Amino acid sequence: MDTMISPDNLSTREVIANPYPAYQQLRDRSPFNYVDLPAGTVPGIEGPITSWALMKYPDVYGVLRDHERFSSARNPLVGKAFPPLVLILDDPPRHTRFRRLVNKTFTLKRIEALSPWITSVANELLDEAGRGEIEIVERYTIPLPVKVIARLLGIPGEDYETFKQWSDAFLSLASMDNDQRMASIQEMVGYFGKIAAARRTESAEDLITALVEAEVEGEKLEEWEILGFCMLLLIAGNETTTNLMGNLFNILAARPKLWEQLRSDRSLVDPVIEETLRYEGPVHRLSRVTTADVELSGVQIPAGEIVTVYFAAANRDPAEFLDPDEFRLDRDLRNHVAFGMGIHYCLGAPLARAEAKISLNAFLDRFPVIKPGQAPAVRQTMTPVVYGFERLPLMLDGEG
Amino acid sequence: MHLVIDYKKCRKAAQCSYLHPELFKADQAGSPKVLVDHPGEELREAAEEAVELCPNGAISIVEDED
Repeated sequence: MDTMISPDNLSTREVIANPYPAYQQLRDRSPFNYVDLPAGTVPGIEGPITSWALMKYPDVYGVLRDHERFSSARNPLVGKAFPPLVLILDDPPRHTRFRRLVNKTFTLKRIEALSPWITSVANELLDEAGRGEIEIVERYTIPLPVKVIARLLGIPGEDYETFKQWSDAFLSLASMDNDQRMASIQEMVGYFGKIAAARRTESAEDLITALVEAEVEGEKLEEWEILGFCMLLLIAGNETTTNLMGNLFNILAARPKLWEQLRSDRSLVDPVIEETLRYEGPVHRLSRVTTADVELSGVQIPAGEIVTVYFAAANRDPAEFLDPDEFRLDRDLRNHVAFGMGIHYCLGAPLARAEAKISLNAFLDRFPVIKPGQAPAVRQTMTPVVYGFERLPLMLDGEG
Repeated sequence: MHLVIDYKKCRKAAQCSYLHPELFKADQAGSPKVLVDHPGEELREAAEEAVELCPNGAISIVEDED
């Protein structure tokens, strides 16, 4: 049996690397108040940051749908630990206006049109990686999503190692020196500022041009709004898909029979991706702030408190999913909350699904066998927000 | 025209009811309903946007026969 995990340890590296035992132990007790970030983590805030953990499916779903009582904009860390990102840290009506602006870049149709290009990038990366034992995070799961989001934004994809460093720094609130973190964020702001200026002079067929030229109710976007958009899209388009694909291939490397089935029946590709999103989704938690006194599962939470929505704990709630700790394709795969729900539902969901699907098909085409590698796999532990691998060596082999 | 929701595809993300409350309403569990039986031409643009923006491709426009 696992040792008991204290709620105040939910943001420790041990739990970040392996959070599911904590969810299992603590879900029934939720909502409960806990220390989300220890004292001294956030500049300008002296004490620890406490939050209410929401781990039951109905609480999580209810909060995601209730953006009026659970605000994204009133997060006390905005401006202290984060620059003001648009959308994810917005409430209506601002959120609605911004969402309208970028929605059309990420529609199913647009993503479908982009798919042949994504497939060619996937195949190039796999050609370069070769066969045998391959560390897929460095060789594949990082570069693919960065190249794709770079193309949508209209920035050179070759800089992907820098992008990765920036977005890591952005998320590493609890594990990185704050001055270093802020310096990195400043660098990112400077970079996008230059690109935006260049697009004002000469437009291109990309999202940054669209943002620079966009008018919301007759007014151009402010500079910080444009930069906030770019940062959000780079970070959200990056870490999430990288970690989704790592989790996906790790799950399959442990299930040789399922790999064989997939090779002969590609209709299983979509269900496997959906069940991966539920079973080991890439985004584990995000926060809201209560705008009124609320009651969740019989617990009173006052106005002005931070609540943390544990998507991944809700996705393993036995009250919603039968045998939640088993990877099964014979369940209703539509109910997971891996992409959230309601107004903040992941803008990039169609893109993430397409990248995962294209990647899984490309691996299936090439590799009759997928197995864990000799070198150890390493989970990322820098941020509790995402769940995925820092290193994932896999044996990818066989004629095919 | 009228709007049809494919409930097999719908994942209850509630984007339709958020962006086009004049056409859709989601119930407590997130399941959307079409509010207007036969939207007029003045709602065509909104309807087309709803179709385009559904992340799960669950909404379609079916033209009425005269």
